[in-house]
Amino acid sequence: MTIKVKDLVNEDATLIGRKAWSDEHIYELEKKGIFGKSWLFLGHESQIKNPGDFVQAYMCETPIILARGSDDKVYANINSCSHRGVPVCRADHGNAKRFVCPYHNWSFTVEGELATIPQERELQCKPDKSQLGLKPVPRLESWKGFYFGSFDENIESLDDYLGDMKFYLGAFIDRFEGGIEFVGAPHRWVIDANWKLPMENQLGDVNHGPFLHASIVTPEANQEIIDHGLSAVTTPGHGATFRMMPEDTHPGLVAWGMESPNVMMAPPEVHQYLFDTHEKAVERVGPVRANMKGLTYGVYPNLSFLWSNASFKVSHPRGPGKVEYWSWSVVPADAPENVKKTLRNNYATFFGPGGVLEQEDSEVWMQQFHGSNFDFADDRKYFYGLGLGEEKSHPDLPGMVDVTANEHYARGFFERWRDALQAVEEE
Amino acid sequence: MNQPVVTPELQHDIEQFYYREARMLDGRQYQQWMALLTQDIAYIIPSRVNTMVNNRDRGKEEMISVERELEGVDSDGCPIREEGIAIIMMRVERAFKMNSWSENPPARTRRMVGNVEVMEQDGDNLTIYSNFHMNYARPGSRNFLYSGQRRDKLKKIEGGYQIAHREIILDYGDIDYPTLGLFF
Repeated sequence: MTIKVKDLVNEDATLIGRKAWSDEHIYELEKKGIFGKSWLFLGHESQIKNPGDFVQAYMCETPIILARGSDDKVYANINSCSHRGVPVCRADHGNAKRFVCPYHNWSFTVEGELATIPQERELQCKPDKSQLGLKPVPRLESWKGFYFGSFDENIESLDDYLGDMKFYLGAFIDRFEGGIEFVGAPHRWVIDANWKLPMENQLGDVNHGPFLHASIVTPEANQEIIDHGLSAVTTPGHGATFRMMPEDTHPGLVAWGMESPNVMMAPPEVHQYLFDTHEKAVERVGPVRANMKGLTYGVYPNLSFLWSNASFKVSHPRGPGKVEYWSWSVVPADAPENVKKTLRNNYATFFGPGGVLEQEDSEVWMQQFHGSNFDFADDRKYFYGLGLGEEKSHPDLPGMVDVTANEHYARGFFERWRDALQAVEEE
Repeated sequence: MNQPVVTPELQHDIEQFYYREARMLDGRQYQQWMALLTQDIAYIIPSRVNTMVNNRDRGKEEMISVERELEGVDSDGCPIREEGIAIIMMRVERAFKMNSWSENPPARTRRMVGNVEVMEQDGDNLTIYSNFHMNYARPGSRNFLYSGQRRDKLKKIEGGYQIAHREIILDYGDIDYPTLGLFF
């Protein structure tokens, strides 16, 4: 029997049915209603600085090449030959003059146009190559160097889509005079979990920190979140958590990067760089955002940012019960080499495939999928009601704001999820 | 490079050292294992990426070399792990906590070490390459086989050896493992 979306999410999204996480039909609706109609993160300009530079990306399960063309413009095309569908690019990143399909050697420019068909030399009738390029992603826009694509021709501008999340993202990105850069190829690994749980985790779920991660996270760190932590929902589906530190906080406790154990062991010039950066923060991002000490961010539907360990992540679905999780370390572009190396390691030690905190996260994400996939418990929906209605507007911060224990970030996500799926349910 | 003189005794000693190490790790005797490491150890797992073939390298071994696939400590990329003794100790301490949920109950592991080769010898410092397979089993999950090469620098000490440097080249295509946060 086909599951109805209205039976999975109630009016105020305080109850979520288990099969929202595990049902095949629901997953098909997600592809159409969410991944077909949202802005999806593709890559960052620091990865494609020169003409011919490219990186691989995904929009849901569809492989994408994001590349800088010979005209210095950025292009996003589906990585699939127009002849038989074989991928024309196999490398994670690099610099190319042509993408060549291994099957019959059709070759494409970095911009995605079909350049040569070797077989046509022997034929009378020449195909119209201008109609046979790689399929471009219909919409491609960028904000502060972050490139997003959408399959929906009619989607609102990226600027509007991000809305007030720009305030929170900018609090990090604009801190650094030379901007930020993504480090190397993404770490990408497969987890037997549903794509939404990594996303929900980063949208605002700092509540699990003191418990799931109790083997590593210190009581002091948890107390700081209780004392100063806030959760903001700008538009339902987006979310940000952070600590709003009092104005007179010592720079060692508020400067970005300083809470890393790796930084504590680093040479003094690393500390100096971080303090110097912090000193300019008021000037660069204003007094409110200068004292923001971020935790986790989520951008609907599947991009997230972990401020404390400076990494961007994308949760790529591979069916209801599998996710290909991608993550990148992010560093200030103008930082000295030893600072960059210290900071990239602050990500990899704790997150990514070898990360000591990620170990616990992926464990429960896998277990949650089991919990969502068995039978005879569908009448016992998951409780999403913590802090219902307690969020309110804030004098200095955009969105609805409350303590981090309020699960409004997750209700917002599932309200948007429900509406997006219902819009395509009857098609 | 100093061509090593590999006597049967040396080969035997090194192999015994690795067997002992594997037994300690499989037996979860992590504190004893820590004594096999120098205080300034570097423990590294490079990220393994899919790269473009450089046209100039066509037909040469460089074109298909393993090194081209590695984003390690000195690369512009992001290694999967680059750790010193403090982070290793953090991982070890974690194993003894009840709330290390991904290891509760602990995984059952079995390491096979082979192809032990003395690559270089410089006084008391040895460069040793070895291969390993590790079976990793946890309740409620399928089993996983980790496979890789270890590039070690060992230091001769009174009565044995210590590991001063370990780089682990993992043979994954896609990372389809629950974690790479283990001791290889």
